Amino acid sequence: MLDYLTLTVALLAGAGLLLPLLQVFRTGSENLAGYILALVLAAALALIGLFTLYPSPVPWAGSLVIPDQMGGVFALVTVGVTLAVTIASFDFLKSTSKPVYYSLLGFTALGMVLLAYSQDLLMLFVSWELMSLPTYVLAGFDKKARSNEASVKYAIIGAMSSAVILYAISLAYGLTGSTQISAVVAGFTSHPSALAGVATLLFVAGFGFKMSLVPFHMWIPDAYEGAPTTISTLLAAATKKAGFIAAIRVLLGITTLYAVTKSPLFTMANVFAVLALITMTVGNISALTQKSMTRLLAYSSIAQAGYILIGFVAFANAPGSSAAMLGLTGTVFHVINHAVMKGAAFLAAALVLLQLKRADLKAYDGLGKRMPITAFTLSVAFLGLAGVPPLSGFWSKLILVLSVANGPYAWLALAAILNSAFSLGYYAWIIKRMYMDQGESTERVKEPFWFVLIFAVMVGLIIGIGLFPQQVINFASNAAAGFAG
Amino acid sequence: MSYVLSLLIALPLVAAPFVYLATRANKGLGIYLSLALSVAVLVIAGYVFGQVYSSPPAGGQYLFQEKYSWISFSSFGLNYFLGTDGLSSPLIFVSALLTVLVIIGSRRLIDHHEAEYYSLIFMFEGAIMGVFTSLNLILFYIFWEIVLIPMFFFIGVWGGPRRKYAALKFIIFTFAGSTIMLFGFLYFYMGMPSPSFDIPTIQAMLQAHQIPASLEYVPLLASFIGFAVKLPLVPFHTWLPDAHVEAPSPISVLLAGVLLKMGGYGFIRISIGLFPGASAQYAWVFLALGLFSMFYGAVAALLQRDLKKMIAFTSINHMGFVLFGAYATLISGSVLGIQGAIFQMFTHALAVGALFMLSGYIQHQAGTREIPLLKGLGTTMPRTAVILVLGAAAAMGLPPFSSFLAEFMVIVAGISASAITAVSVLVPVITAGYFLWMIKRTVLSPAEPGHEVHDMGWSDVAAFAVYLVPLVILIITSYLILTPALPVAQFLKGLA
Repeated sequence: MLDYLTLTVALLAGAGLLLPLLQVFRTGSENLAGYILALVLAAALALIGLFTLYPSPVPWAGSLVIPDQMGGVFALVTVGVTLAVTIASFDFLKSTSKPVYYSLLGFTALGMVLLAYSQDLLMLFVSWELMSLPTYVLAGFDKKARSNEASVKYAIIGAMSSAVILYAISLAYGLTGSTQISAVVAGFTSHPSALAGVATLLFVAGFGFKMSLVPFHMWIPDAYEGAPTTISTLLAAATKKAGFIAAIRVLLGITTLYAVTKSPLFTMANVFAVLALITMTVGNISALTQKSMTRLLAYSSIAQAGYILIGFVAFANAPGSSAAMLGLTGTVFHVINHAVMKGAAFLAAALVLLQLKRADLKAYDGLGKRMPITAFTLSVAFLGLAGVPPLSGFWSKLILVLSVANGPYAWLALAAILNSAFSLGYYAWIIKRMYMDQGESTERVKEPFWFVLIFAVMVGLIIGIGLFPQQVINFASNAAAGFAG
Repeated sequence: MSYVLSLLIALPLVAAPFVYLATRANKGLGIYLSLALSVAVLVIAGYVFGQVYSSPPAGGQYLFQEKYSWISFSSFGLNYFLGTDGLSSPLIFVSALLTVLVIIGSRRLIDHHEAEYYSLIFMFEGAIMGVFTSLNLILFYIFWEIVLIPMFFFIGVWGGPRRKYAALKFIIFTFAGSTIMLFGFLYFYMGMPSPSFDIPTIQAMLQAHQIPASLEYVPLLASFIGFAVKLPLVPFHTWLPDAHVEAPSPISVLLAGVLLKMGGYGFIRISIGLFPGASAQYAWVFLALGLFSMFYGAVAALLQRDLKKMIAFTSINHMGFVLFGAYATLISGSVLGIQGAIFQMFTHALAVGALFMLSGYIQHQAGTREIPLLKGLGTTMPRTAVILVLGAAAAMGLPPFSSFLAEFMVIVAGISASAITAVSVLVPVITAGYFLWMIKRTVLSPAEPGHEVHDMGWSDVAAFAVYLVPLVILIITSYLILTPALPVAQFLKGLA
C-alpha cells in the first residue's frame, strides 16, 4: 500500500529530479517550474498535515524513519516555509536558470522532511546533507561576488559541521555498536565514558552551527546578507529548525556528561543554559548595531535560537517533570512561531530589496507611506519577535520562560525577559523609522500580488495564533508528550 | 453571567477600525462618531460604577465576574477572567470620562492623521478597560502591554520636536519595567503548590496560608519595578517629563490621567493584594519611597520654566501620595490610607487632566508654554486665566476641591503609621507655593503691549467645567468613592 510518507517523498524527489528538464526544453512560462514546485509543496504540506493530525507512527524504510508527531511539526514548518519562499521567488528571482533553483529547493525540502523523521544517526546524516548541499548552491545563486563569497563561506563552515557530526556518529557507533538514536542514547546512559562525553559535545557543536548558537554563529550574518534574500529566509526559518529537531532527537536524552564528571557544573542543562544565555545576549546586542536589514534579521534570528534553547534547559534539568513538558512544548511552539515571524520579516526585507534595490536601514525611512502592506507586515512580525502580546511570539516565549521561572535556572528566565525588553529597542527603532521618519520619497511602490498573499497569510497566523493559541499549543504539547513518551 | 465588562473592553476595540474608516471618509463625521462611541462607553462605565456603589462587593469579592478557560494544556491553565470592585470601578469611570473629554479637546489641537489618531484612542481605551478589569495576571499583563502601542504612536507621530526620542524612551522604559513584572508573576506561579494566575484564587490560597511566605519576595520586587516605572516613582521617572513635554496635550491628559493610574492600581491590587506578607514587612521602604517621590516631584516642579513640565512633575508628586497612602494602611492599620489612595487617583486624574488640556490651549493661543513668557493672562485671556486658577487650586488640594480630602486622608493615615511622616504636610505647602508663583507670573503680571491673543470660547469653558465640577461635588458626596473602597481597604489590611 502506498502510504502518506512514501507519497510525500516521491512527490518531492520527483519534483527535484524532473524540474531541471524544463531548463533543457525551455518551454512555457518562465515561472512554470516555480508553479509546479509550489503545487508539489502544497500537496506535501497537506499530506504531512494529514498524517501528523492522525498519526500512525509506523516504521518506514526499516525503522530508519518513523513519522511521529514531533517530526510532523518540524516537517510542516520546514515545508511551509519552503512553500512561502517558492511563492515569493516568482517575483524575486531574476535568473536564466530558474528551473534549477526550484529543483534545488525541492531537494532541500525533501532533506528537511526526512531529517525531521529520522530515528537513525546515518539516516539523519544523509538527510542533513541532502538538506544542506542544495542550499550551498542556492546561497550563491546571484552569481555576484558578494553572493559567491557567502556561498563559499557557508559551504566551508557547513562542511566542517558535517565533519564534526560525522565524527561524533563514528564515536557513537564505536561505543555502542549501533546507529539507532535510541540505542545510542541508552548506551551512553548505561555505559558513560569520557569518549561518550566528547561525542555529546561534538553533537552540540555540529548541530549548533545550523541552530546558529553562539559561538558557532560566525557565518550566519555574512551568509544571510550575501545570499538572495529568499534563500536567507529559507536558512533562517527552515534549515535552522532542522538543526533543532536533530538536537531534540539526539541530545535531549543524553546525561553522560554528568555521569562521567560527577560534577554538578557539567550537566547538559548547564551546557544548554550557558549556550542559551550567550546566544540570546550576543544576538540581541549585535543586532542593535547593524546598519543593514538582513544583518539585523540575522542577529535577531541568532537571539531567537537562544530563546528556543530554554526549553532544552527545562527538559534536561528535570526530565519527566511538568516544567520539562512546559519547556519542550514551548520549544516546539516557538519553532512554529519563529518560522512564521522570521519568514514574514525576511520576505518583507526581500520585497524592499527587490523594489527599492537596497537593504540598508535608510531605505526603511518612511516606508509606511511607500509600501504600507510591507511595513505593516514587518511591524507585526517585529512586535511578535519582541514578544509583545497578544501576538503569537508572546505565548511561546511565555511558556519557555515559565518552564524555568522558578528553580535553579530562574536567572535564565530573567535574562530571557530582559533580552526581550532589550530587543524591542531595535525592533521599535525600525518601526519608528517606517512610520515616523521622513523618507526620501513618498511615492507609492508596487507590492506584487504573490508577496501580498504570503504577507496576509503570515500576519493572519501571527495575530490569529496570538488571539486563539489553544489549538496550536495542543499540537505542540501533544508532540512534546509523544516525544517524552 | 454578565457581559458588561467584556462589552466595556470590546466596544472601543471594535469601534477603532470603524472610526478609522469614518474619519478617512469625512473628518467631521469621524469626530462625531468618536464622540458618540466614547459617550456610549462612558454610559456603560457609569452603570458599572453605579452598580458597584449601590451594592459594593465584600472584600475579595468582585462584581460582574466573567470567567472562561482560554488556554490549558498539561499543567498550565489560563482563564479569561474579569471582575470589578471599589478599587477598579472609579478608575474605569474616570478613564471613560477622560476619553470623552480628550476627544472633545483634540478636535482643535490635532490637525494631521486624524483617522489614525481617533482609532488609536479607542484602542487605548479598550486596553485600559482591560487592565482595570482583569482578574487574571497574564490577561492583566497582556492589556498592560497593549496600552503601550497606541501611546508609542501618540507621542511619536503627533508629538513635539523631540517626539521620536521621547517615544522610543517611553516604550523601552515601560516595556523593560513590565517584562520584569511578568517575570515576577511567572516565578510566583511556578512556586505555588497548586499554580494559578487568577487573583481571587491566589487570595483564597493566601488566606488559607497555602502559599509559602518566602515565595512573595521575588515577585514583590519584580512587580515593584514594573509599577514604579508606570507610577512613576523617583528614580524610575525620567521617561515621564520627556513623554509629557513631547506628547500633544490631549495625550498628556491620557498619560497623566489614565496611564499613571495603572501603576497605582498595580501597587494596590497586586503588590499589596497578592504579596501582602512581604509588602507588610517592607512597608517602610515603600512608604519612604513614596514620601521621597512626593517631595522630589514638588521641588522639581518648582524649578520648571515650561508650564507642561511643571504639571508633569506635579503628577509625580501626586502619585507619590498614592503609594504613601496605600502602604501607610499596612503599617498603621488605618483604612484611610488605601481609601485616600483610591480617592487621590480619581481626583488627580481630573485635576491634572484639566491642567494638561489647559496647557495645550495656552500654547495653541499664546504660542508658548514658557511660564516667564506668559504674561498678563488675567487681562488678555480672562476666561483661560480663571480656569487656570481653578485647576491649580484643585491640583494643590484647596477646599472645596475634593483633592483636599484625598490628600488629607493619606496624610492622616501616614501620621497614624508614624509621627515622623507628619513632614508630609509640607508637600501640599510646596505644591501651593509653585502653583501660586506660577499664577503670579502668568495671570497677575501686566500684559505685554501689542501681543494679540484669543481667549477660549464658552464651549471650551463648558468642557473644562466637566473636569472641575465633579471635584467640587465629590467633596460633599465623597461616599460615592469611599463606600465601595472601604471593603477593599479592609480586605487588603486583613491579608497583610
